[in-house]
Amino acid sequence: MNVLKVSRFTIVAFILPCTLIYFGIVFVPILVSLYSGLLEWNGIGQSSFVGLENFRNLFFQDPVFWPSVRRTLMFAVFSMAEIPLALMVAIFLRRYIRKPNFLVSSYFMPVILSVVIIGQLWKTIYNPAAMGGMLNQILETVGLESWTRSWLTEPKVAMFALYFVALWQYLGYHTLIQFTGISNIPAEIYEAARIDGAEGFKADRYITFPMIIPIFKISIVLAFIGSLQAFDMVMVMTGGGPAHATDVISTHMYNMSFLSMKYGYGSSIAAVLVVVCLIATVIINFIFNKLEKRFS
Amino acid sequence: MVKTSKLLSLVLATTLLLSLAACGGNAKTKENTGSANSGSTNATEKPAEKVEDKKVTITFQNIYPDPTDPKNQIMKKLVDQYHTDHPNITIELDSLNTDQQKLKLKTQAASKEVPDITIVNPAAQMKPFVDAKLFAPLNDMLDQNGLKATFQEGLLDFYSFDGNTYALPDGNNIAVVYYNKELFEQAGVKVPTTYEEMLEVVKTLKSKGITPISIGEKDSWTGSFLFMNMLLRTNGGPGFLQDVVDKKKTFEDPAFTEAVDAFQSLVAAGAFQEGATSFDYNAGENLFKTGKSAMYFMGTWATGGIETSSVNGKVGVFKFPTINGKGDPNEFMLAPGSAFAISADSEHLQETKDFLNYFMLNFPKEAFEAKGAVGVGQIVDGDFAAAGYSDMAMEVLGLFKEVKGGDLAFDNTMNPGTAQIHLNSIQNLFVQKIDSAEVGKEHQAAYEDNNK
Amino acid sequence: MDTPSIVGVRNQKVIPEQKRKRFSLTKGIVILFLSVLVITQVYPLIWLVLYSFKTNEEILSGSFFSLPHSPQWVNFSNALAGGRYFRYLGNSFFVTSVTMICVIIFSSLAAFAISRFRWRYDQVLLLMFLVGMMIPMQATLLPLMIIFKNMNILNTHLSLILPYIAFQTPIAVFILHGFMKTIPAEIEESAIMDGASVFRVYWNIILPVSIPPVVTVCILTFINIWNEYILAATFISAERLKTLPFGVNSFVSQYSVNYGAIGAFLVLGALPVIVVYFLLADKITEGMVAGAVKG
Repeated sequence: MNVLKVSRFTIVAFILPCTLIYFGIVFVPILVSLYSGLLEWNGIGQSSFVGLENFRNLFFQDPVFWPSVRRTLMFAVFSMAEIPLALMVAIFLRRYIRKPNFLVSSYFMPVILSVVIIGQLWKTIYNPAAMGGMLNQILETVGLESWTRSWLTEPKVAMFALYFVALWQYLGYHTLIQFTGISNIPAEIYEAARIDGAEGFKADRYITFPMIIPIFKISIVLAFIGSLQAFDMVMVMTGGGPAHATDVISTHMYNMSFLSMKYGYGSSIAAVLVVVCLIATVIINFIFNKLEKRFS
Repeated sequence: MVKTSKLLSLVLATTLLLSLAACGGNAKTKENTGSANSGSTNATEKPAEKVEDKKVTITFQNIYPDPTDPKNQIMKKLVDQYHTDHPNITIELDSLNTDQQKLKLKTQAASKEVPDITIVNPAAQMKPFVDAKLFAPLNDMLDQNGLKATFQEGLLDFYSFDGNTYALPDGNNIAVVYYNKELFEQAGVKVPTTYEEMLEVVKTLKSKGITPISIGEKDSWTGSFLFMNMLLRTNGGPGFLQDVVDKKKTFEDPAFTEAVDAFQSLVAAGAFQEGATSFDYNAGENLFKTGKSAMYFMGTWATGGIETSSVNGKVGVFKFPTINGKGDPNEFMLAPGSAFAISADSEHLQETKDFLNYFMLNFPKEAFEAKGAVGVGQIVDGDFAAAGYSDMAMEVLGLFKEVKGGDLAFDNTMNPGTAQIHLNSIQNLFVQKIDSAEVGKEHQAAYEDNNK
Repeated sequence: MDTPSIVGVRNQKVIPEQKRKRFSLTKGIVILFLSVLVITQVYPLIWLVLYSFKTNEEILSGSFFSLPHSPQWVNFSNALAGGRYFRYLGNSFFVTSVTMICVIIFSSLAAFAISRFRWRYDQVLLLMFLVGMMIPMQATLLPLMIIFKNMNILNTHLSLILPYIAFQTPIAVFILHGFMKTIPAEIEESAIMDGASVFRVYWNIILPVSIPPVVTVCILTFINIWNEYILAATFISAERLKTLPFGVNSFVSQYSVNYGAIGAFLVLGALPVIVVYFLLADKITEGMVAGAVKG
């Protein structure tokens, strides 16, 4: 892997621009944010240092926090479960379509469009039948009237309705990444395998899957982090309601920091979010390192 | 914390400069071209490049971004006029949508970067800003050119703390029930005068397949606004929340639980459209505007929008009825509007005050001409009927004359932390039946928790 | 019907003609599946175009397939009014392209260093960048405001470009690193033996091979910032500096939303992107294929 022995100066020259801007604009605000998590502060006036009080309240008293963590993790699980599907689509595209780029871009459309439009579109799909909701109308037409419901307002189903939109929206995103990964596998390898009699899914089993693992990991991590930050879509579709039924960590943080004006408390939520992300990433890294070793 | 971050950002500034130099000055050159462009090439703006007096730029943050909205047109017109009269002054409009403006102002307030003119909501919602001494008192400016006398009596109290007025409102509204006369006729129902009648009306409409009341409960203040009107009745008069603050009452008071029960009976009767909590304000209002619902409870600011919709001419208004014989229909939910405030740290405090003085003096006249004077917070000279205001608008204006007092919305009275819990608690009533005593307890706990 | 028979279409250059012609049920099903997917993923675009010609009442009535009753060109004239569209478009274009160039350069350098150099702290650095990807932007608003205030760059394009670069580079580094790891080491070893400098290896070998992931990073960076509004609205106040999302959001008032005009503005905002994309699509394809072959 890491093969080049270079001088310290060269290393610094390569990583300096990136690291500087990153530390200045991302890392320092994180530290400030972490510190704010120790304050009782409305974001405007005087602040007072309260130590770990915010975290104590968050973990033991906040009735919204744990459910929102659970929903966020569910979100992440669903998003990650989607990646194999994206990989499959990417493999299909590579194998069966002669000019696949057009399709890849088409699948990508929902990500390009503003979330305002996506939200509006799905609301018209989820609406009650009387208000033109397409899903309910279809269910009625095929005689499944007992299945119709008001998808975005029943606390038990609303969150699943949101997961689904996210999966639909991000399928193209992950397909693009997987597709790039497959395209990057040298053609000679497949050619050699074909001569050895490995074609189609057999070739996938022995060439595509092992070689795509690093790219698969990228998608998994991006899906995980993306769903932990899911914000816009929830805000547009339900605003976290009804009565917190669709609140996720990031919307809870926003509500606390800016609507309830408990900036310190909101920052402590952000800090927890970062820690959760970090732990999960380490775990994902660990699993994939094992996988990579096994297959190479 | 500000101190530490200042130090950090100093370190940062230097490192960043270095990194930018490394990137080939890419970003830097752009900054220059950006500002050069603004002065010379954009003819649409009024840059007032030729300096005569001291050149002054005033940033005017506002929530009227839509060029098709009358308030935006009024604002632009007044600003243009001011530019002509005062060539040395440039008013920079920073027009944002409401949510974004709130977020921006809070962020700016934290770093003491409040724009020269900004917009805040009355009473409890602006208090944190006033407490942090971010706004300039406007008493002296109100006395100039008799501006103070143009405001309706008592209105400025909602924007005053310790004898100083800190903001000037763009409106003053009350909550009414709009109803569709045609749909009422179709169902054979009459305007209810008691809550019990109202429930009957709801049931009859429902049985005829008409959505009785539409609401945009995704924006949870809408349901709270309605609930608070019920509380205003069950409490037998205004001041319930003030009593809670003064420790004379708690949220477990019978007046509060009775209001919760009344509200739940409305939900149980199927008064609201299916999936109400996923409808935002506009989608909810649109049901009424397209004749799909028979009633709509809202502040009188909605009048203009209803006038330009397809149900125009079929709409009447009525006062929210009494509940169990309690309350006075002439007491309304009061909604003093969002208001203009001036930054205490403004570099051009005097010029900004002069401009706002001019702006507010001319605002009612312009609003009247733009047919937007229903719910303006200032005294308007002019004959509304002669100016072509609709019958419904005249009806609404008639109600204004009968106002004998009332309450402010929950989030204008309680601090933001309590308000958020309240909003969610009421939103929950739309999807779940909950014991009213529980709701009262939840409110009380939230109140105590947020006022330690 | 067995799968091996339809293999090999994957690499156009090496596939014998006759193999592609064979009919297969699997292939039919797959193509059907992919086509259905196209419809579900492209429909929003069509929907958006229809939307932009509708009145508010038509839009909010919530029908899924309907055509506009009579096309509302007024939505477009509202969107174009006052020349804001072109100014915003220019600003968006400027901010986005500067950001993209910087992101690509910075991140490919760093990713190269992390994946190829033999040094001790590469994993630490990578982890640092990973942390950066996890920060919700809303949490950094306030600290950034204070930092930019002290740097005196509030209300300039720099106050957008800097955070955009900073937030996009971690993802870019992460993706590029993942790809660069997979490039066989022999190539550069031999190049170094031949006396090429490290920078030459980066520029002449690694970067050309990495064109597909670089293109991917470009696309992802682009979509992340083209519609970005929260930072823009917070740090930019001057009309002349505003970007396209301001235009979209300018039709949202306190008590009314002009949905049709929003749709029109979004169509106008997406149009140049789609046009440019499809103009460049062939070049991008070439780049991807070239990268794959060289690898």
